[in-house]
Amino acid sequence: MNKSANVITHDVIVVGAGLAGTWAAMIASREGVTDVGVLSKLHPLRSHSGAAQGGIAGALNNVRPVPDTGPRGPLEQIPPGDDLIDSWELHMFDTIKGSDWLGDQDAIEIMVKDAIDIVYTYEHMGCVFSRTPDGRIAQRRFGGHSAPRANYAADWTGHVLLHTTHEQALKNGVKFYSEWVALDLIVEDNVCKGVIAMEMQTGQLVTMRAKAVMFGTGGYGRAWKITSNAIANTGDGVAIVYNAGVPLMDMEFVQFHPTGLYQHGILMSEACRGEGGYLRNKDGDRFMEKYAPDKMELAPRDLVSRSEQTEIDEGRGIGDDGQGIYLDMTHLGREKILERLPQVRDIALNFVGVDIIDDLCPIQPTAHYSMGGIPANANGQVIANAAGDPVVGLYAAGECACISVHGANRLGTNSLLDASVFGRRSGYAIAEFIKGGAALPEIEGDHLTRTQARITRLKSDPASGKGENWAKIARELKQTMTDDCGIFRSDEGLRRALQKVKELQGRFANAHVMDKSNRFNTDVLGAIETENLLTFSEVIVSSALARTESRGAHSRTDHTKRDDEDWLKHTMAHKTDDGTPELSYKGVNIDWEKYPPQERKY
Amino acid sequence: MTNKKITVRIQRFNPDTDQKPYLQDFEVELAQGMTILDALHLIKEDLDGSVTFRRSCRHAICGSCAMNVNGQNMLVCETPLREKIDKNGQITIRPLPYLPIIKDLVVDRSSFWAQYQRVKPWLIPPDNVPEKEFRMSAEEVAALNDAEHCIMCGACYSACQVIALNKQYIGPHALLKAFLRVLDPRDADPRARLDDLDKGDGVYRCHTIFNCIDACPKGLNPTKAIETLRKLAMKRQAFEAARKERQKTLDKPVN
Ligand SMILES: Cc1cc2nc3c(=O)[nH]c(=O)nc-3n(C[C@H](O)[C@H](O)[C@H](O)COP(=O)(O)OP(=O)(O)OC[C@H]3O[C@@H](n4cnc5c(N)ncnc54)[C@H](O)[C@@H]3O)c2cc1C
Ligand code: SF4
Ligand code: FES
Repeated sequence: MNKSANVITHDVIVVGAGLAGTWAAMIASREGVTDVGVLSKLHPLRSHSGAAQGGIAGALNNVRPVPDTGPRGPLEQIPPGDDLIDSWELHMFDTIKGSDWLGDQDAIEIMVKDAIDIVYTYEHMGCVFSRTPDGRIAQRRFGGHSAPRANYAADWTGHVLLHTTHEQALKNGVKFYSEWVALDLIVEDNVCKGVIAMEMQTGQLVTMRAKAVMFGTGGYGRAWKITSNAIANTGDGVAIVYNAGVPLMDMEFVQFHPTGLYQHGILMSEACRGEGGYLRNKDGDRFMEKYAPDKMELAPRDLVSRSEQTEIDEGRGIGDDGQGIYLDMTHLGREKILERLPQVRDIALNFVGVDIIDDLCPIQPTAHYSMGGIPANANGQVIANAAGDPVVGLYAAGECACISVHGANRLGTNSLLDASVFGRRSGYAIAEFIKGGAALPEIEGDHLTRTQARITRLKSDPASGKGENWAKIARELKQTMTDDCGIFRSDEGLRRALQKVKELQGRFANAHVMDKSNRFNTDVLGAIETENLLTFSEVIVSSALARTESRGAHSRTDHTKRDDEDWLKHTMAHKTDDGTPELSYKGVNIDWEKYPPQERKY
Repeated sequence: MTNKKITVRIQRFNPDTDQKPYLQDFEVELAQGMTILDALHLIKEDLDGSVTFRRSCRHAICGSCAMNVNGQNMLVCETPLREKIDKNGQITIRPLPYLPIIKDLVVDRSSFWAQYQRVKPWLIPPDNVPEKEFRMSAEEVAALNDAEHCIMCGACYSACQVIALNKQYIGPHALLKAFLRVLDPRDADPRARLDDLDKGDGVYRCHTIFNCIDACPKGLNPTKAIETLRKLAMKRQAFEAARKERQKTLDKPVN
């Protein structure tokens, strides 16, 4: 590291210390790149990867359904020598089908093949997984997966993976900048040269120069009112990259998880249903019989959330506002719940006062996962356009990236996998790039001054009668995205949403903060995060408005069918000079022999 | 339900501008299902944007939001506001005690993290790593469950009387982490760990006052882990031998 006033230089700068960023840093450092700095707006262990509950996918073949007990029967370990039931090929097919054929099949193949190795690697690094009776890693069922391949540690899988990975990075001597926020990305002539960041403790702005920059800034569910995402999940990374001229891909695809805690949105893991939980409407009916008679509650998330929303819209919801559904786990028994779902039990107890052992738990769909993001190839290399030309020195992986392995809908447990596999691959690619003699690019423009001006503006006293609190703008945005860009979408609603987002962007120009100090200014941070939400929400709404079909998580009430002829393609959105997104499209990588598009039925 | 007004007293302090910490009162309306964190957000967003605190996950897993409420350390995100209001309709929120204050409710946890790193929290694997997973029994996993579940919130650390006087002490969180690695059948060097933990600022500094147990929002028991480490340190040779033996069969089925 090389430090002078307001400038810090590293070979590699990683923005984000969740699983994706930490893997990249850990691998690059292990591969001989000693000068790696990771900045994270939260302490690394506070990253949202730690909140993942259910498991990480990988066809380990440790367990199978007990023969003749049906798709929801008990599981048992596969005795040595017995036939295996799972394979990466099966995992691949499930993922493609889950993606509604929008996932790039070459990338999916890499991910599912790597899955097996990465899970064992986690185990070798010290993760304490739950176990089968003979001591192998325990596995459970998850929606859309045709075999039990969710490898888990009780219901705190992400926590265990995150802590273990962070420890390995520490062991390798990676330098962490904890509570440093990236505000802007420096890209000049298609070469990435660094980021502008703010140290929270002092409020100081710093230009961080590097030969390679990697983004692992996570998801952005905070654009919705009801969400499972952490408060910090404001999509800074996608907004920053987009502002720097890099496109965003498939932003219209946002997954709503079927079981967020009623009115809170906090996740009740899919493992609740994986372990056998039922969904019931206000009449007590297991309504999934109507929508997915075969897979029932374990149909993929987009389908289950739509089914719930239909029940709710048709008046069969529960709760004061009729927006809830019951999750019924009372038949699972105390022992199973305490052993496998201790965390979700505590969550329900603390937040809605329900003990899931004895009572029905109120839930509702919750904004959960963003399939779209910064377009990157399978080495994490960010691409500048539909032709796939790289942005030199820029990498991305994890939820902020779109590789695209999840296409129009992600399967549960595939995202811890995505973040780990492509975080690791980015680490290798970055190491190769640096060791191949990458030079430290000179920065031409004065980026820091521009960023500083944004903050100064927020802190300045607004012209009388004009100033507005950013928090109010954020609230209105969340309401709009919930009402008009949620599970079901229409031309009318999306146009309304677009207009509203633009209005809010306009109002943000007069937004201000109350805290004028430099030290740990979370008021300024909140304002900047809101600006980021406004930036990428416009891309989401515009992309959704243009896509006149229903595919995966993108469901149009005015275009209810999937339309492969016109829409089997990725959306790419570029920021134009007047600030609005310009859309173009990119082909999907499909093996037409092996995995041609089919009707998606469960 | 009629909404009732309550007084939230928040300890404020910006070292750049304030001589010393002071309490400031805010009024909020108690709404159904409101947590203490919800109240802090309301205050920050609507009343005073300079009120400063940490939070992220808002469901007791990221460890950001440990604070001192009415004299007790807890995670404010999972604690219902209603439960902590006293008979005068008040609740008092202070930062975690015994740690330097960065601003308002945000404390400097540097010593906490330094101790965490000091115990070398990473696993030291044996040489013979199998192609698939190491085999572990359900009992071996269960013994680690508590320690594995620690979210590094610091509630225990800042409730510890020994830490209050001596920041060299490793502390409950890091000793719990050390316990995790020492007890893990896959760790190849429990001996070196025990040798280190046995030194002046290690396991013998704990005076078994149990404050850490009361403070832990996850119901973990660092004191018990520290006691176990003491016992193991006393018979470290036998323990090391047993570990070596166990590691010979780590690639074999446990049952
Ligand atoms: C409640 C919940 C449960 C889940 N359960 C599962 C599951 O069981 N299985 C599964 O596969 N997936 C699950 N997921 C999804 C999965 O956890 C995430 O997709 C994945 O962990 C994302 O990892 P990441 O490394 O990309 O991002 P994160 O872990 O979110 O990390 C983002 C990092 O970026 C940093 N950052 C963000 N913005 C900035 C900035 N401006 N400057 C500096 N740093 C910044 C943050 O501090 C953080 O370190 C779950 C998600 C949620 C919300
Ligand atoms: S032991 Fe408990 S109180 Fe201490 S850091 Fe861990 S979770 Fe927090
Ligand atoms: S906000 Fe994460 S523990 Fe409270």
